[in-house]
Amino acid sequence: MIALRTLLLTFLVVLVSGSRSFAQATEAPTDDVRSVLTDLITGNGTEEDNLARLSEFGDPVIKDIVEAWRVGKVFVSPGTEPDTQVALLKTDDGFVNIANGQAWQGDPSVASVNRASRGLRKQLSRLVDVLDLASPDLSKRADSAMKLGSGQSPDFLAELQTRLPKQTDRKTRRAFEEAIAISQLANGSTAEKIASLELLGERHLIAARDFIKRMREGYTTDETPDGQLILVKADAALASIASFEKKVEFYGTLFRGLSLGSVLLIVAYGLAITFGLMGVINMAHGEFIAIGAYTVYVVQNFFAAHFGEASSGYESYFLVSLPLAFLVAAFFGAVLERTVIRFLYKRPLESLLATWGISMIIQQALRLKFGAANVSVASPQWLSGSFDANGVTMTYNRIFVIIFALVVVLFTWLLLRRTRIGLHMRATMQNRAMASGLGIPANRINVFTFAFGSGLAGLAGAFLSQIGNVGPSMGQAYIVDSFMVVVIGGVGNLFGAAVSSLGIGMIDQSLQPILGPVMGKITVLIGIILFLQWRPGGLFPSRSRSLDD
Amino acid sequence: MPPRKNLVETILFAIATLVFLVVMPALNLLPEDSTFHLSSFTLGVWGKYLCFAVLAMSLNFLWGYTGLLCLGQNLFFALGGYALGMYLMLMIGPDPVYKSALPDFMDFLGYKELPPHWKPFHSFPFAVAAVMWVPGLLAFIFGILAFRSRIKGVYFSILTQALTYAASLLFFRNDFTFGGNNGFTDFKTILGHDLRDPATLRGIFIASGVLLLLTWMLISWLLSTKFGKVQQAIRDSENRVRFSGYSTTSFKLFVFTLSGVLAGLAGALYVPQAGIINPSEMVAAKGLDVVVWVAVGGRGTKIGPIIGAIVVNLLKSWATREFAESWPLILGGLFVFVVVFMPQGIVGLPAQLRDIKTKLATRKAATTQPA
Amino acid sequence: MSQAPLHRGTDLVLSVEGVNKTFDGFKAISDLNFYLAEGELRTIIGPNGAGKSTFMDMITGRTRPDTGSLTLHKPDGHDIDLTKQAEYKITRLGIARKFQTPSVYTQHTVYDNLLLSLPRARGLFSSLFYRESKEDRERIDEVLETIRLTELRHSIAGALSHGQKQWLEIGMLLSQQPAVLLVDEPAAGMSDDETHRTGELLISLAGKHSLIVIEHDMTFVKQIARDGKVTVLHQGTVLCEGKFDEVQSNPKVREVYLGRGKAA
Repeated sequence: MIALRTLLLTFLVVLVSGSRSFAQATEAPTDDVRSVLTDLITGNGTEEDNLARLSEFGDPVIKDIVEAWRVGKVFVSPGTEPDTQVALLKTDDGFVNIANGQAWQGDPSVASVNRASRGLRKQLSRLVDVLDLASPDLSKRADSAMKLGSGQSPDFLAELQTRLPKQTDRKTRRAFEEAIAISQLANGSTAEKIASLELLGERHLIAARDFIKRMREGYTTDETPDGQLILVKADAALASIASFEKKVEFYGTLFRGLSLGSVLLIVAYGLAITFGLMGVINMAHGEFIAIGAYTVYVVQNFFAAHFGEASSGYESYFLVSLPLAFLVAAFFGAVLERTVIRFLYKRPLESLLATWGISMIIQQALRLKFGAANVSVASPQWLSGSFDANGVTMTYNRIFVIIFALVVVLFTWLLLRRTRIGLHMRATMQNRAMASGLGIPANRINVFTFAFGSGLAGLAGAFLSQIGNVGPSMGQAYIVDSFMVVVIGGVGNLFGAAVSSLGIGMIDQSLQPILGPVMGKITVLIGIILFLQWRPGGLFPSRSRSLDD
Repeated sequence: MPPRKNLVETILFAIATLVFLVVMPALNLLPEDSTFHLSSFTLGVWGKYLCFAVLAMSLNFLWGYTGLLCLGQNLFFALGGYALGMYLMLMIGPDPVYKSALPDFMDFLGYKELPPHWKPFHSFPFAVAAVMWVPGLLAFIFGILAFRSRIKGVYFSILTQALTYAASLLFFRNDFTFGGNNGFTDFKTILGHDLRDPATLRGIFIASGVLLLLTWMLISWLLSTKFGKVQQAIRDSENRVRFSGYSTTSFKLFVFTLSGVLAGLAGALYVPQAGIINPSEMVAAKGLDVVVWVAVGGRGTKIGPIIGAIVVNLLKSWATREFAESWPLILGGLFVFVVVFMPQGIVGLPAQLRDIKTKLATRKAATTQPA
Repeated sequence: MSQAPLHRGTDLVLSVEGVNKTFDGFKAISDLNFYLAEGELRTIIGPNGAGKSTFMDMITGRTRPDTGSLTLHKPDGHDIDLTKQAEYKITRLGIARKFQTPSVYTQHTVYDNLLLSLPRARGLFSSLFYRESKEDRERIDEVLETIRLTELRHSIAGALSHGQKQWLEIGMLLSQQPAVLLVDEPAAGMSDDETHRTGELLISLAGKHSLIVIEHDMTFVKQIARDGKVTVLHQGTVLCEGKFDEVQSNPKVREVYLGRGKAA
């Protein structure tokens, strides 16, 4: 148990550190930008020289100043000598010295409006357009390159090309190359166009598809060998992009299916134990999910109150709430078993009815305590966000749920197969009378098993609080699906439940893009009913020797 | 033994006939200032209860006597309601805002003409037929699939719930041509009679009473035949019935289909009295509500489901008024109590009390003896 | 139902030939051959897991064989392939089965239990309009007499003792007026006296009906087998067949079934 928890923690640490390892470029000192701007405005040094210096910066302050200059909010105050002139920015609260960004204490009456020449304005506006190409934020730089490339304007093509050799970061460099290639589709020579098509095809850039298609249109009637060659190359590039897109879609579906299946698995696993092993139809299973989710909510509020929402302590509230969600749900499960379920072991249909009453009670109790509206549970930083794996967007919470499901399966397996209490549980579930005859404390085992199944539901709720709404009736949405998972998997077979939840998750996700969410879901349900025609006992039926089963 | 039971039943039947077909409508006819006047509103509420009672009887026929617990009986009820609702929607007539004879939600969604499957519902007989065959057909098809592959017990229950869930998803959709979320409402006339007219409401109330009595007679007759015996034998030992040469599949299929039809009829009479039908009638919770009525009243008894449906709904309307916040707690608690401690429901209570009394007496005798 | 052309005249009522059945890789029945003559009382013994119940399941259509044939020879000379018939149709053909655990309609009276077992109006719609005839009532009375439950005819079957339920189930089989009776462990849970009487009942049925009886209790087997054949099943196949004494002295049987202690 300790080993498992360590494993989970290690994984989480890796996740957290991974999410924070964004490459941060070193920031260029802003003071320099400001002095260059001041030089430009006050005419200190040549205009050409100052512009060249300025283009090295990607600072957003340039944009603000240029805009202010255009609308006549830039002033100059004469100094004692020409090179001590001060460039000023007029704001609502008075003047700000552009050179240092501080309020200017001089005499306002001596300051006069400064206007840039027509030629300079033109150059400045171009400079602003390509400003982000020099941005210290590399992802912003790459985005800007793609944007300028997509504009396919010859002016920016030259700009991109001159800046390309300066790009040292691999990703940014690739973005520049791709931007240039897209721009060259419209502006390049035949040779350049062909090279661009080859590059885009090789990089299977989905964003370039429309540009290639548009370009191809222009050559459909071109009978020259060059034109024909370009057509061939364009088709090849398009084919390469299309096949890549399919691959991305496939892996995307696989990933989403796997994560949806994992959610189902966690939700259904507790049910597979209480229903599959114990034969108790727990309609309140969904409410144990809600109990788990509300536990997370309470823990979150506690952390927010004691550590503040910005603290790192708050960030770890979710880790603390996981075991608590399990324990709280398990506790309520134990109470339910002792007060109601134990009277109904021989009457499965009636356990269904009684637990339905329980479910009404728990739902209403939650409503009275926490209100009928959904409560908001914030995801910790390390669970939000995503990264791009070769075109497939992997969100951290989806990855987390997959690993989490694995841990749940592994843990349950270890508990049932490798511990003494697990052996007792299996024995009791097979034959209550026989087990208690052999000296196994059947009552205690029943409580334990039911509490364990309920605890798993609580864990599922804790996880669902991160990806869906937390409300009093949140569990209702999962109850039908969970029962389906258990029935399809073969009642009493935990491995079957795992396989069937992943299978249902995958099928659901692959049907959704074709049929839409509702029809997809209906198709899955009908599919399940038809599947049972073929295999009434589920995937892994357990055969019993009794005739009137 | 049996003759006395029959006598009790006949008396109960006569009382029910008198109350539902004569007394209550007559009280409604009294002048409004009379102490005994029964308002049309109250009559309407009781009309709905009668429909619920028929719904409960249909489930009891299936669950109490055949052992098949359907968690989607409300689906058949709702389908019957929708079928008659379609007719009622078409009887609303041209709408002042959209100036078209189409149901409002269709105007809203930009329909230019009635979808083909709506057209026959201008005819009342067609709608009434649909009230029966739509739920009946669904039950039949689902029954074939379920019973052929020997799905029974809790699996049957779970699958019927899944079916209901799927259907509700479908009906919640706007483009399913059944009004989506809002369903059908604002009905105006039925067979040319104004639905706000007390006389019309009285007529529908009497029709609900007649449906209840006819259902009772039908079920009583079926149970008295060999068919009824086979049906109950299936509940107790299906394999034995099969190995006595009966095709249990056909029997179950017949029972399931018939119970679907009865639920559909109840739904059809419910809709004009409730004035609305929407997909919330199809959610899983409503299906379990019906189970609650039957269990509380006493399953496997003829009168139990009627008592259960009326008592639980009276209790619900009282509790929602008195304890708006905590009535689900009361209802849930009551239900758990009934299931655990009163497996025979209200109807079985006298026998249960007698049992307890005898037990106490014997225990007392046992404890006094050694002394 | 499909009827083969008139069969050669034999005195067989049931032939099982070359039957195999595998469950998830476990060979429950392997190349089983078995013939039952008309009016015969055959006892089947065998250790747990020998395939006895599976064998009955296959005759009654609960389980289908992977390969092999199960044929019912009707008195009129027609052959029926049982592997193609639904369970309830096999019953209608005259094969009745008693389960290991007593299986009666607990909420019905003893009389109704027997009434429902009569081969009358077993269709859905015919059952709606069925009225028991005088003949039917006489038949039921006769069976009640045979199973000694005449006094309890109006009792609810669920209230009977275990032994009475076993007898009632046998009575239900008799009501079916079957050609072949398959009886799975009839003496289980009965007192010695009840067991003995059950044996006598079964013996009295032989001749009028053909019977296959599965039993563990050797005293009981000895009682009912008399000079008839006993078949020993082992690992899904027939280990040996013969009179009780022959079987009992067969070394192979002693090894697998009777156990060294008992044989010594």
